[in-house]
Amino acid sequence: MVSTIQQEEETSISLKSKKFVVWLFVVSSTIMFGGWTSYYLVFMASKGKGHGLVLPEVFTYSTVVLVISSICLFLAARALKRGKANQQRLFLWITLVLGVIFGVLQFQGWTSLYQTGAVLVNNNAAISMIYIISGFHLLHIVAGLAFVISSLLGNYNNVSQEVAEYRQDITSIFWHFIDILWIYLYVFLLLNS
Amino acid sequence: MSTISLHDTHHDDHGHGHHHETFLTKYVFSQDHKMIAKQFLITGIIMAVIAMLLSILFRIQLAWPDKSFPLLETFLGKWAEGGRIKPDFFLALVTIHGTIMVFFVLTAGLSGTFSNLLIPLQVGARDMASPFMNMLSYWFFFVACVIMMGSFFIQTGPASAGWTVYPPLSAVPKAMPGSGLGMTLWLISMILFVASSLMGGINYVSTILNMRTKGMSLWKMPLTIWAFFLTAILGILSFPVLVAGVVLLIFDRSFGTSFYLSDIVFGTEILSNEGGSPILWQHLFWFLGHPEVYIVIMPAMGLSSEIIAVNSRKPIFGYHAMVYSLIGITVLSLIVWGHHMFVTGMNPFLGGVFMITTLIIAVPSAVKTFNWLATLWRGNIRFTPGMLFAIGMVSFFISGGVTGIWLGNASLDINLHDTYFVVAHFHLVMGAAAIFGMLAGVYHWFPKMFGRMMDVKLAYLHFWVTFICAYLVFFPLHFIGLDGVPRRYYAFTEFEFMDKWITVNILVTWSAIIAALAQIAFLFNFFYSIFKGKKATQNPWQANTLEWTTPVERLHGNWPGEIPTVYRWPYDYSKPGAEEDFIGQNVPFSQTMSSNLPHDFEGNEEGERIQREWEAVNKPVQE
Repeated sequence: MVSTIQQEEETSISLKSKKFVVWLFVVSSTIMFGGWTSYYLVFMASKGKGHGLVLPEVFTYSTVVLVISSICLFLAARALKRGKANQQRLFLWITLVLGVIFGVLQFQGWTSLYQTGAVLVNNNAAISMIYIISGFHLLHIVAGLAFVISSLLGNYNNVSQEVAEYRQDITSIFWHFIDILWIYLYVFLLLNS
Repeated sequence: MSTISLHDTHHDDHGHGHHHETFLTKYVFSQDHKMIAKQFLITGIIMAVIAMLLSILFRIQLAWPDKSFPLLETFLGKWAEGGRIKPDFFLALVTIHGTIMVFFVLTAGLSGTFSNLLIPLQVGARDMASPFMNMLSYWFFFVACVIMMGSFFIQTGPASAGWTVYPPLSAVPKAMPGSGLGMTLWLISMILFVASSLMGGINYVSTILNMRTKGMSLWKMPLTIWAFFLTAILGILSFPVLVAGVVLLIFDRSFGTSFYLSDIVFGTEILSNEGGSPILWQHLFWFLGHPEVYIVIMPAMGLSSEIIAVNSRKPIFGYHAMVYSLIGITVLSLIVWGHHMFVTGMNPFLGGVFMITTLIIAVPSAVKTFNWLATLWRGNIRFTPGMLFAIGMVSFFISGGVTGIWLGNASLDINLHDTYFVVAHFHLVMGAAAIFGMLAGVYHWFPKMFGRMMDVKLAYLHFWVTFICAYLVFFPLHFIGLDGVPRRYYAFTEFEFMDKWITVNILVTWSAIIAALAQIAFLFNFFYSIFKGKKATQNPWQANTLEWTTPVERLHGNWPGEIPTVYRWPYDYSKPGAEEDFIGQNVPFSQTMSSNLPHDFEGNEEGERIQREWEAVNKPVQE
């Protein structure tokens, strides 16, 4: 009896510390993008030029899509806390679809950049940098989708409330992070043209 | 969090220690932190031996540049045609020696081993926050090692641009033989390595912050844990920047972008890359690279602090100062990277800023050094092998640290930059010192890892020969550097002004060879003692920290019953009035009434009252 309680307690400590792991990953990922944006700033300061482009309109749409997906994920988390599993499932699905749409829009953005001649292999490293940071951000989206799927699977398999909330929590931490990250990157690129 | 104070009497239905284990899950894909620590240690030792052999090869070249050693050709084939090491291969040797030592031995081998072993054991946890990620961390590291060594078996040889892989040598695949496939493998290996370090570091931080046992407040943690904690934080803050830099380098190499390249001419061919700057790589690299040297030395400092306190039978001098100086080093190390770049045409004002931040690091470093010495002062010193190596670590840290103050000065560094003086400096302060800290840790915690003791006489032999030879190797290099001899030059006979240093190089090389031979004593001792060493007792060094309360048999889950509760800091050695000269962290004050001091109760009035009442009855009033 005592040891069961103890064990449960240890499980919840372990879930808590695993959640913290996600936070630390967020920190290190932020720093990686910080490395690129500082490259960009130092490059701009020493060469006296940025990417010098009008960014494709598609990026604005993709930003909106990503923000909406974040809102849906928030609603999914709220539904779970209120014990409405069906609602959570619905919102997770919407988040998933919006995430995929975001990816498609990013590809369209790159296509229109490519068509205007702002290609990856460029003598202006600032333009190459647009591809690097949006590309690596998209990789994070892929990872984020994996988190969303794990929450969805938890929902379908009726895992315990504690585990379901844990999965939903790490999904939320990560997804909101990549949402904010994209807004930062997009605004950064808009301001430093 | 917990209201349960009952003792657990039904150990058998406890979740830990009763998994069904196969050979594969126990020894290969283990998720037990103690086994992962051993995997890191043994891989680290193998990599260290390889790196040492590489260094002997280039030391032979430096001592006898014009002599032929047919044996070398037998082993190295076309890389030593005619028994002389080729210039390209010489550069590969120094590059891979540096890479292996800095990353694979002194980062993964040191942090990986001891953070894994000691964090759960000393904070009182069953395992890491994520044992699975911990296992992945080791296997990423292992694959990184294999790929790095694999580059010796390709036609064009390993990367040769130095461990800092500055572009354009690293960014243009046809720049030199090692810039081709060898460099690509180096980059792949390094990405895996960084992934491994991050998974490890994130785990360490999360475990320390979330999984400490009851009573283990941050200020009751041993200095080892503080050191691992801050090292891991530093890794999380700096390694991602290296990834950012490496990604750009890969794009430059493989896709034709121009992040680091501009105006490159090969004979008559002009490369199309334009507009980039190699200086930007240096910024990104050294933003990791400088914290990296503290990632290397801080665990060694933590291990030494613990070992010195245990074997001086005294509390560590200035525990809080030790912690604050570690924090100071951590913060400062992030804002000094520019001192590696004084000669890149940096604005002198900016150089001045970096110079000031660099010199300020001397303050926390000196605090630590004086505290170690003050801990030793009038201690009841036990010269165990671990203690000798810990003192050796302090010695090297002082000798190498002093020259850091020279090099931190921009005006001096402009002269000394890229000379043997720099080589001498960092080999003492982060090479020898960190290795000695690591060896101290191995000797000290060997009983915890393997349940057996290492042989003391062989350890003394190992210590004295290594200690003396390390000084003989690195000290003379200062003078070569002061004379302006650049590092990484292939043959001292090619330049008249370097010619006179050949005799010194011969001394250095012989010392290196003898030091290398001394490591055989260690290797034999280590592997022999795993199987045949004297059986260890539960607490062979009579230390206070929690790892010595676990059974010698090393269970999965660490403690058979409940995890011990912590009542006191880890440095109650030779406390006046106590029955023995050590009091474990898990001993409550109620059991040590004769030695309790007012400040032990940290303002707990109830405790103080009980203590006063006890003293009124039991203690004769002292005149």
